[in-house]
Amino acid sequence: MNEMTLIFKSCLENEAFARTSATAFLMPLNPNVEELMEIKTILAEAVVNCMIHGYEGSEDGNITVHIRYEGNVVDICVRDEGCGIEDIDLAMQPLYTTKEHLERSGMGMTIMATFADEFHVTSTPGKGTAISIKKILHDTHEDSR
Amino acid sequence: MKHQLVDGVLYFYFYGDLDNLTVCNLKQICIDLIEKYQPKTVKLDFEEVTFVDSTGIGFVLARYKQLLKMHSELIICNLSKQNMALFRMSGIFQIMKYERNGVKL
Repeated sequence: MNEMTLIFKSCLENEAFARTSATAFLMPLNPNVEELMEIKTILAEAVVNCMIHGYEGSEDGNITVHIRYEGNVVDICVRDEGCGIEDIDLAMQPLYTTKEHLERSGMGMTIMATFADEFHVTSTPGKGTAISIKKILHDTHEDSR
Repeated sequence: MKHQLVDGVLYFYFYGDLDNLTVCNLKQICIDLIEKYQPKTVKLDFEEVTFVDSTGIGFVLARYKQLLKMHSELIICNLSKQNMALFRMSGIFQIMKYERNGVKL
């Protein structure tokens, strides 16, 4: 088992940092191009959600990214201590967004759910939101055969 | 990002990671160029885009709506296999056209 935790401020430039750090950490698992793209996208969606929804654009919040893996199974948790989500089912609806004026597509949750093998959202209004993702990568032992 | 106007078609060429920060920086420039040239057609070229997420889809949808008000059309061009998968998920091709290649810089 291997794991790491990143805690960073909710400034927009930290989104690229989060997704590139996550993929760098997972390099020993030898992910293929498609898996890398999916993981990068999941991280981008999750972290941007914390920034623009959780902290509503404030750059003063803390975002925590925790990643662990065992074998080829990767668990990712992205958490904020922001405003929380009142209605998770509604937030999960494709194309639903509260931020259309910011040109949001309302596709973030759908994209994460599609790219993940398991996807859970827990949230407490006023306290924050956490998303947990399980991603099973291809069996690297297959590559060396 | 680069752009050019050829025969009344406004082309935008995007490069590298089209993430949230990049889109925030590009958005107003694109809005203003469309306002300035009033093109009948806008083509967004993603050939050199290495990464795009829901922010990019939101940006494309917003430009589509901007152009709709002017009775102009938006065409998406040259998506990679991975980027195409993401765009398909949004159902965006039910309202927008897609084409490969076309006019380059």
